[in-house]
Amino acid sequence: MSGIFGLAWRLLRGGGRRGMLGSALTVVAVAVSTSLLLFAVAANLAFQGRADREAWRNPVAAARDAVAIQAVHLDHVDDRPVTVVDVAALEPGAPAPPGLARFPAPGEVWLSPALADLAKRLPANRLADRLSGKGGGLIGDAALVHPDELVAVRGQAPGSPVMTAGLAVDGHDDIAPTRISGFTGTRTDNAIGYQILALIASVLMVVPLLVFGGAAARLTVARRDQRLAALRLVGATPGQVVAMTVAEAVITAFAGAVLGAALYLLMTPLLTRIEIGGGPWFVADTWPGVLPVLAVLVVVPLLVGLSAVVGLRRVVVSPLGVAKRETPPAMRFVRVVALLAVLAVVPTLGMGAGVGVVTVVLSLAFLAVNLVGPWVVGLLGRIVAASARRPAGLLAGRRMIDDPRAAWRTVSGVALTGFVAGFIGLLTPGTGLLGQADATNLRLAVPPAKAAALSEQARERLATAGVRATVTVKAGGGRGKVLVAALGTSDVAVTDRARTALDGLVPGRSATTAADDDRSGFRILDDVRTGTVTVLAVSFLVAIASAGITAASSILDRRQTYALLHLAGTPMKVLNAARRTETLLPLAVMGGGAIAIGMFCALPFALSTMNVSGLVTLLVCVGLGFAGVAGAGAASAPLLRSVTANPAPRPD
Amino acid sequence: MAMSVVLEGVGLVKRFGPTVALGGVGLALGRGEALAIMGPSGSGKSTLLHCLAGIMKPDAGEVRLLGERIDTLGERRRSELRRTRFGFVFQFGQLLPELPAEENVALPLMLGGLSRGDAVRRAREWFGPLGLGGMEGRRPGELSGGQAQRVAIARALVTGPAVIFADEPTGALDQGTGHDTMNLLVEATKHNGASLVVVTHDLQVARWCDRVVEVRDGQVIPGAAPEMIGATG
Repeated sequence: MSGIFGLAWRLLRGGGRRGMLGSALTVVAVAVSTSLLLFAVAANLAFQGRADREAWRNPVAAARDAVAIQAVHLDHVDDRPVTVVDVAALEPGAPAPPGLARFPAPGEVWLSPALADLAKRLPANRLADRLSGKGGGLIGDAALVHPDELVAVRGQAPGSPVMTAGLAVDGHDDIAPTRISGFTGTRTDNAIGYQILALIASVLMVVPLLVFGGAAARLTVARRDQRLAALRLVGATPGQVVAMTVAEAVITAFAGAVLGAALYLLMTPLLTRIEIGGGPWFVADTWPGVLPVLAVLVVVPLLVGLSAVVGLRRVVVSPLGVAKRETPPAMRFVRVVALLAVLAVVPTLGMGAGVGVVTVVLSLAFLAVNLVGPWVVGLLGRIVAASARRPAGLLAGRRMIDDPRAAWRTVSGVALTGFVAGFIGLLTPGTGLLGQADATNLRLAVPPAKAAALSEQARERLATAGVRATVTVKAGGGRGKVLVAALGTSDVAVTDRARTALDGLVPGRSATTAADDDRSGFRILDDVRTGTVTVLAVSFLVAIASAGITAASSILDRRQTYALLHLAGTPMKVLNAARRTETLLPLAVMGGGAIAIGMFCALPFALSTMNVSGLVTLLVCVGLGFAGVAGAGAASAPLLRSVTANPAPRPD
Repeated sequence: MAMSVVLEGVGLVKRFGPTVALGGVGLALGRGEALAIMGPSGSGKSTLLHCLAGIMKPDAGEVRLLGERIDTLGERRRSELRRTRFGFVFQFGQLLPELPAEENVALPLMLGGLSRGDAVRRAREWFGPLGLGGMEGRRPGELSGGQAQRVAIARALVTGPAVIFADEPTGALDQGTGHDTMNLLVEATKHNGASLVVVTHDLQVARWCDRVVEVRDGQVIPGAAPEMIGATG
């Protein structure tokens, strides 16, 4: 086996300049795939990490042997949420909450670095006065969802009003005092939701990645076909040929995978800046861990090797290798029937359909579009060839008929991304969905019996703080009462001063505006948009890289033909025009088709008709996709010039 | 009989790094003449053909087509010249595998601006005389080596060129097919009033031509008459 590896290595190194260029293209393709795969893996692990770091603030009631009491409520400053965690130890040895060096003593306040920084920067009456107490220290990263998160942990005595108040939890994210046996907690629904979204995004990214990886593997095989057929002729056994192919593909892919991992590491400073869930990421979040990275470095080359073996079947079967070029039979119409069958199922789906069913139908629709692609390319080829009046059209049309799969390969990535864009475009939520919530009235749920007294106190406190407000008490949900301080302004500085004034009026509660309460809803919509843009950006990056690499590889494969055509006086612009037609035409038709199919698949889940931001997303995608593929094709024009500059082309 | 000169190379010099491929070569091709350029591998015969055909620019010397210099023209003009005034037949690989035979032949006409219908009609006219009747719709992969070379000859001649350049045109064919192909190439070229330059290392091929020159170490050595080569070789 080491002999085979050695021979494969020598063949790889002895491939000459063009051979090396071909190998370099494969290395680049595998590198891009690997780095994006690592991104997908890291993203999922990062959301898992966030969920785990947040879990301690979502307490689980202890069945017995409670060691502490924990209550959580949301406060706000500068239009940002502040998570306030109150803890009280029930016995001396109570474990410290995550990120804290010890259990906070009563009266101690621990702040997250971002909150401590904000408290220093803002006037005391906006924030610091609310955090008064003995400074405990800074909360460590282990207890924070993201570096910019605002969190305060306050130590309390078990009998303090905050820890004993039976709070009326009224739809806020507040958690009433809970007796706990430790700070393990459980993941919040919100965090689990993000994990699911990350998983869906990964699936959407992995499909173009697979298309790309497949193209990269075929790229190695196409060049090696002839040489390996020659090896078969001199008596190499099919097993040896397969082993050599695997060895060559694996060596190349491993180089690509290592490069990709390095590329990913270089990208991490940028990735940490993607704001999701209210803030950016810790650098550690973007490192998937040694084992996952090693797994990717092993799995990627193996997959490429496997894909290469599949592509080699023909050579292994016959020492004559590449079959003679004859008129290929037209693609079967059954491909279209498959797509129609899948699409027929789509309208039966609805909001009630299970996640599994929806995923399967979407995947099938995705695959069916990929299946129909070559058929459409073949059909377009016949139309173009039949109606061509100029040589470029004739060349493009005939080439599309000759090898519709190859023409499809160049554009499939972008077209499939069109499917994703169409799907997402229709589902992109508009902000209009939530409306503009009121930010001028601070509201605080109060115990009905104390409503009158508390409103009087509120008036006094606001007046002392110099905040002009009208305080009234209104009926809340059920038997509750809500104290409303009408500020008459949405100026965030005034609101913050009012919040500070009202702080502690009701133990363990903070006054909020309607806009505050809607903030997490808006944040989720924002995050869906950020996720959408990220997924689309990654998909398009892959698709465009794929188009560029396939275009370059196609020139290398046909260099002799191009050189001879040029030599016989064919103008370069005719060759380039033919190349443009054979990519942009299928792209326009199949890209448009895929967008339409994506939108059709999204119809059962659309909450409203397409909104402006969805339309903008879609249009930007269409523009970028077209420009990207056209640019990738144009970028390979110098390569075409270089291969045609060779005056004595010979097959090698 | 004095023939008027169609193509002429004067004092052609071409170097590749330290290697001198052509060391001041002079050569003239008469109207309707078939000239064989012979020589061992690496002697410079292909370089000479590339310089004469405007594929390569010589480092020194001149190339004239019907008295006009072509070695000083830009790439675009030389491309056009190759398309309109020259025809090429190579050992293999010059036909586009995706196009049927008739479209391969029609392609140079279409590149010259002729409509597709007219180009294909004119291309078809070549199939019968070249013994390719019924093969119009076949693709190169469905043709034998000899048939493919005849399609290439038709493509080279279809634009009515002044000179046909053939580089080892029978190199990939068996002796019998090579014989037939050379016969056809010389006859068809002369029948159409064109001249022929054949680069070969095969004596049998050279014997089809009116005149033979030998290139050795970048110099042209006037050869014997073709019929004499057979006797001595």
